Amino acid sequence: MTSLAGRSRKLFSTVLLLTLSAQVTAASCPGADSVALQWLDKMSRSSHEVNYHGVVTLERGDNMQVMQVSHSVVDGTASESLTQLTGQGAQVVRVDHPLHCVHPGHRLLRIGEEMQSGDCGIAAHYRFAVGEGEGDRIAGRKAVLIQIEPRDMYRYGYIMELDRETGLLLRARTQGRGQKTLERFQFANLSYTEEAPGAASAEVVHRATHPDMSSSNDASLPSSHWDIRWVPEGFTMTDEPKRQSTRKTYTDGLAVFSVFLEELSREIQPGEGVVRRGGTTSYTRGMRMSDQPVLVTVIGEVPLNTARMVADSVTWVAQ
Amino acid sequence: MSERLRESLSALMDDEANELELQRVLSSLGEDAELRQTWVRYHAARSAMGGQPVQDLSMDISGRVRDALADPGEGQKTGTFQRMLRPLASFAVAASVAAVVVVGGQQLSQLAEGDTYMAANNQFGGVSAVGFVNSVGATPVRASFGTQGVPVLQPAARTAYRELARQRMQKYMQEHAEHAALNSPQGLVPFARVQEIKE
Repeated sequence: MTSLAGRSRKLFSTVLLLTLSAQVTAASCPGADSVALQWLDKMSRSSHEVNYHGVVTLERGDNMQVMQVSHSVVDGTASESLTQLTGQGAQVVRVDHPLHCVHPGHRLLRIGEEMQSGDCGIAAHYRFAVGEGEGDRIAGRKAVLIQIEPRDMYRYGYIMELDRETGLLLRARTQGRGQKTLERFQFANLSYTEEAPGAASAEVVHRATHPDMSSSNDASLPSSHWDIRWVPEGFTMTDEPKRQSTRKTYTDGLAVFSVFLEELSREIQPGEGVVRRGGTTSYTRGMRMSDQPVLVTVIGEVPLNTARMVADSVTWVAQ
Repeated sequence: MSERLRESLSALMDDEANELELQRVLSSLGEDAELRQTWVRYHAARSAMGGQPVQDLSMDISGRVRDALADPGEGQKTGTFQRMLRPLASFAVAASVAAVVVVGGQQLSQLAEGDTYMAANNQFGGVSAVGFVNSVGATPVRASFGTQGVPVLQPAARTAYRELARQRMQKYMQEHAEHAALNSPQGLVPFARVQEIKE
């Protein structure tokens, strides 16, 4: 009885909080759906903080991959793994990832405080709406649907469905122009237990890398010798590139793209080529940059036009 | 010639072939006389639709391709015979280029000899503004951001660039996934987009 009363009080305060923040949001960021944004915040946190294990599918065109995923948190550090059950059958693992290590993409999804200071964050670039009604059941869990539409033409739209209880992302569809589904990710089976079930065996095991955060703030080091003059608004760098790095990666919280620069030792006939797989675009451009033949490749979950415009803005930095 | 090969060839003619189809056609072009004949027929049909005169289709293609490649001045002539030949030459160059382009972008420079570079002779308007080149099907919206124009390419270079883009995707996808996995809400799932995960 007491626990029931406690729960309803908690529910009441949640509703109150939502109502209050909705007023703040409406005042500073017109068109921002604060309830949807709260779900986004919860989704980001749950992906780090919750113990979960399950089987997910990733559909891209007529290709479908099935994977086993596992995420567990012990003493403030997360360990996760992904094991492919189809195709190559490789495994990717990440261990000892501290919970306080929140990368830029996730910081962009946790925008509660910034909104109140007048910065609309991700709400300035996407329109969010919470689906009405019950919502689907996905992997045996009740889901809430969040419709995400881009406000400009530089990114894709998404339909995300989150666990009503935990906020975990259960299903995500990436939508291109004309609501065309480019890629679909979905849990087929999910359990929230601490004990990870035994993973399928894998021949190739890759340990996911983590950017080195230690030396990034050293202002005495000259920065990169090349630069990108334009990225769509709302995109921010995921990590500080090292001095000789030939890669720069950007995220707006939902989409990520990377730019790679190759300096060629021989002339190249100027031109461009593109490959698309599901929601991923890979755009390669050969050109001359102040007498130096280069090859610029933009890979990411963004429309072709965005990739092309980013490639177009690559430039040398005067040293 | 199999039905599948015919479909691949058709897709290639419409510039809609995927890598698999491209590979299929390229690898069969050498031995399959029927495939080469079909290509000529498809091309003739397209020429006819475009109001150009249709050539005698019983010619020896391989010989003509050889001759066309041997004559570097071919691209500049304007007779109907040469108009017919030019795509053949480009196609043959595409086949050879796709086979050697494995190492990297440098090989593309070799194309300059066999493939007429349109920007050079300005025949088709030369350099286009970024966003207006529809060779890869982009939205022709914002005209240009910077100063770099994207030249219009003839089919051979286009084929080579498509192959180059495919190789670069393979080369860089995993490094991109490392960062996507840390900065998007699906955990390690971005790694599933990597064609072949390396240790």
